[in-house]
Amino acid sequence: MAAPTMDRPTSAAPAPVQTLTIAKALNNGLRASMEANRKVLVMGEDVGKLGGVFRITDGLQKDFGEQRVLDTPLSESGIIGTAVGLAIRGYRPVCEIQFDGFIFPGFDQIVSQVAKLHYRTQGRLKLPMVIRVPFGGGIGAVEHHSESPESYFAHTAGLRVVTCSNPADAYWMIQQAIDCDDPVLFFEPKRRYYEKGEVDTTAAPGPLFRSRTLRTGRDVTVVTYGPMVRTSLDAAAAAEEEGRSLEVIDLRTLSPLDLAPVYESVRRTGRLVVVTEAPGESSISSEIAAKVQQECFYSLQAPVLRVTGFDTPYPPSKLEEEFLPDLDRVLHAVDRSLAW
Amino acid sequence: MTNNMATTTIEMAPDGADHISPPADADLATMLLIRHFELALLDLFARGELHGTTHTCLGQEYVPVALVPLLAERDYVFSNHRGHGHYIARFGDPAGLLAEIMGREGAVCNGVGGSQHIFRDRYLSTGVQGESLPVAAGVALHLKRHEPGALALTYIGDGTWGEGAVYEALNMAALWRLPLLVVVEHNGIAQSTATGAQMAGTIRARAAAFGIAHLRVENSSLTEIRATAGPLVERVRDGAPLVLEFVTHRLGPHSKGDDTRTDAELRQVRAADWHALYSEALGERFAEADAIAAARVTRLVDEVAARPPAVWSKA
Repeated sequence: MAAPTMDRPTSAAPAPVQTLTIAKALNNGLRASMEANRKVLVMGEDVGKLGGVFRITDGLQKDFGEQRVLDTPLSESGIIGTAVGLAIRGYRPVCEIQFDGFIFPGFDQIVSQVAKLHYRTQGRLKLPMVIRVPFGGGIGAVEHHSESPESYFAHTAGLRVVTCSNPADAYWMIQQAIDCDDPVLFFEPKRRYYEKGEVDTTAAPGPLFRSRTLRTGRDVTVVTYGPMVRTSLDAAAAAEEEGRSLEVIDLRTLSPLDLAPVYESVRRTGRLVVVTEAPGESSISSEIAAKVQQECFYSLQAPVLRVTGFDTPYPPSKLEEEFLPDLDRVLHAVDRSLAW
Repeated sequence: MTNNMATTTIEMAPDGADHISPPADADLATMLLIRHFELALLDLFARGELHGTTHTCLGQEYVPVALVPLLAERDYVFSNHRGHGHYIARFGDPAGLLAEIMGREGAVCNGVGGSQHIFRDRYLSTGVQGESLPVAAGVALHLKRHEPGALALTYIGDGTWGEGAVYEALNMAALWRLPLLVVVEHNGIAQSTATGAQMAGTIRARAAAFGIAHLRVENSSLTEIRATAGPLVERVRDGAPLVLEFVTHRLGPHSKGDDTRTDAELRQVRAADWHALYSEALGERFAEADAIAAARVTRLVDEVAARPPAVWSKA
């Protein structure tokens, strides 16, 4: 490729397929949305000059200005509430919540305003806003930088909740979420931010609110999302060496759940293991177990098993490897399912 | 963005029959309409015709009426749980509101919102304390950029100052110089807890901490309120947020039948009620207007109650 010159910017023809980290893919996706639509704003704590703690908004303020990339006070309720006001007036705000544990001061706005205004006004008010949340542990951080709060939001009618697990989804799903006229909670697996993958910038892999089968298999279905997708794929590769064939489905959307591919898969394999980093009690994993037993009762050869974080607060970082589900725990559940 | 606003604090004279300037007929009619509307709601509840809950603004009716000429159609109004007066003063539409509360045809939000969740044009209410402040700040940010000169008003009570969202929004409003007008209906009691038992310090000092102008109004005379508040509200339009505190009185219970005040306390509240002061100051003219408003609300209740149920629709 020729060296760039002053009058020939390099951005003229980006390669259609690029190898990117999830972090860079999100950054590029945000940039693409901001270029496509002037109504898109980014706001949050330290998202401007710093580019966010994880640099997901790196360079956006420099390129789009302080009017479109707002550094806010440490005020999660204020950030989300202000975004509601901006969305009412036609903006498409993208709020960054710095860490999962910081979303709780904004919970009131999310549950009582973001989730309900569309319903209360019977659709006359739309809230096209995205709340980005880096979530999950595995980075050696403290409790409130390592939590998986997605089930709270999936439990709340009126919110859409999605999570990406790879760079291609990160690039496209963030843009699709911004385009969505409903409020979207967008959970980003922070310990996977720097994992790389190919991103085809010319075509989206599919619609936003669809799950996807990442690996087909015959023996056991494994359903997962976010940071546990990589763990589950690794488990499937290891199982294959022992002659066991796992089907791995990435949910991608947690509300609404897209379980049709899961039902279809379980009717073939007769066995399901649900893998989440979040604790299992009253959670997305329990919801999936309930629905699958209802829809696939006569196909099941074993009870639906779950591999989840423990029902405790997130532990100190030196203990997190004991807390986080890993390849061994997934394979153990697969063994138990097959041995039933 | 630096904040170099000067803090303004103005105190208006305390109430008294001598201070009531004769109001315009239309203003008096609206105040009395709200009074009888609220009384009718309590009566409907007592008769089992209404369900759920409601919070009446008995004693505070003059506040939104005083603000009417200071606001423009392009201004946003965010109301709270005690918002019937706010709605009626803005739209003059008691039928739409009553239908909303009763779930009848013609309801502002098809009966989905009820008493506390109303959306119409640039008016939005919510029942959770303090929640609308950040939303109003967001709307104010949009107005500042795209409709300069317009403002966002949010009504709160003295009890609302216990909520953290208030301070997050005041901070942003001062920092970003937003056209945000916070109207405080300080009625001295948060549900059943007296202000002195739930608020340390003063609203004035809290506004001052953010460098936000503050005006305390202890008068229920519309002319005086407008003359004093008007210039400060105009400054809001230029990006100088204002806390406009009305010292007022909640005549009725917080909701229904949950008033823990003593007879002596209630006597004191009733003696300070604008209705009594206006009646004394205006005599026969007041009595006639009061009777007309009462009759209008009686007819309204009969007419709305006879309507078929509201039908939910999809936009």
